[in-house]
Amino acid sequence: MKTLVIAGLIAGLIPIQSVLLPHVAVWGVTPDLGLIVVCLAGFFGGELEGLLVGLAVGWIMGLFSAADLTVGMSTKGIVGYLAGVAGRHVVYMTPVVLILGLLAASCVSSLLNALMLTLNEQQNVWWALKTVILPQAVFDGVVGGAFYWLAWSRLNIERLVSEYRT
Amino acid sequence: MRMVNFRTPYNAGRLALALAVVLLLGFFLLPTQLQSVFQEVGSPIGWVVSWPLRAVSGIQGGTAGFWNSYVALQGAQEENVELRKELEQLKGQNGQLREAAAATERLTALLEFKGQEMFPMVAAQVIGRDTGNWYRAIILNKGESDGFRPDMGVVTPAGVVGRIVKTTAATSVVLLVTDPNNAIAGLVQRTRDEGIIEGTTSGMARLKYIPLLSTARPGDRVVTSGLVGGFPRGLSIGTITRIDKSEGALFQSAELTPEVDAGLVEEVLVIQSPNLQTESERSGTPKGKRKP
Repeated sequence: MKTLVIAGLIAGLIPIQSVLLPHVAVWGVTPDLGLIVVCLAGFFGGELEGLLVGLAVGWIMGLFSAADLTVGMSTKGIVGYLAGVAGRHVVYMTPVVLILGLLAASCVSSLLNALMLTLNEQQNVWWALKTVILPQAVFDGVVGGAFYWLAWSRLNIERLVSEYRT
Repeated sequence: MRMVNFRTPYNAGRLALALAVVLLLGFFLLPTQLQSVFQEVGSPIGWVVSWPLRAVSGIQGGTAGFWNSYVALQGAQEENVELRKELEQLKGQNGQLREAAAATERLTALLEFKGQEMFPMVAAQVIGRDTGNWYRAIILNKGESDGFRPDMGVVTPAGVVGRIVKTTAATSVVLLVTDPNNAIAGLVQRTRDEGIIEGTTSGMARLKYIPLLSTARPGDRVVTSGLVGGFPRGLSIGTITRIDKSEGALFQSAELTPEVDAGLVEEVLVIQSPNLQTESERSGTPKGKRKP
């Protein structure tokens, strides 16, 4: 059941990411919903689930991007795994902790992308930091935090988490 | 404040670590092979995912169409007057160009030149944008099953849009001419100087490697040279807005304003040029290459 839910989530993620989010882009940068999903899966489900969801999301999103498939899979897989490790060590989670975690995860993922993709000489690390990595990290943190806050304040997140894990 | 406990068992963590190490080693040691495998296996998955993508794109297109047709009509009157003026000017130009074309045709027949082979074109709709922030790319609603292959050129009647870099069974990813990682062979129409066109980080394009003695100037049009890639000769790419000539450099370069605003493109034509490799025949990755 959980696998089906995640598969449906990924299938729904692609149209939102590629059709709707470009309309809310700030300076041409959109939040990476895939990364947010991977982080949440890692936080909630642990390392293995974070890794597997990361690989799947990286793969499917890579099919609809000009970027290298294996780079997307590696970075999202690593971030999912790290989110799982963080989820195990962070005993109590609050929206603030989640936002900071997403900020860090987004920065790690984007930096890995910038280093692993062979980008043009115009796109050096400083350019990447200024125009993609930092704006996207802020965007990811805000969007992820908003999701979590919504689930935390409007829904019973403890029940959702325990259901997600079973 | 309510908080959530996130403790998980350790065995899954060890398994994940082992799996992560194996996969990462695979990705770093066999990047090209794994890229091809995942691309091939992902092709039918791309077909499945293309359905919700088309559905959302259709709804978004309908909403945008309604907005543009009925709501956002402010200034339409002024625009109409301007366009009528422009149409009158273009009618005059068209007459002159018809004369020139007729003369060219006569001379071509006289000299027995072989006409340029025209490749078949297939229309496709833009259904989305790149899912990441690193490349300027669009997604088309047709893919391998329609005969699309990487490196095929994508155009509109106004000019070049970009080239296909990745395909699934039902979708294609087109890297735009304004992306810095794209390279298209072009030439200055007036001076016939050739160069390579690549995008810039500011969303424009740049013609590189123009000979120092070239007399190219702002206002000159740049077209495809037809020497490399999936484009025939003579397709419009952009207009030169600035020439950059630095002291001691072996070449000069020119900044271009692309003819096509890729942000507004809704339908495109894909040039089905022959002799391009299929996805499985390609040994390298479609676009994003690794550092050696």
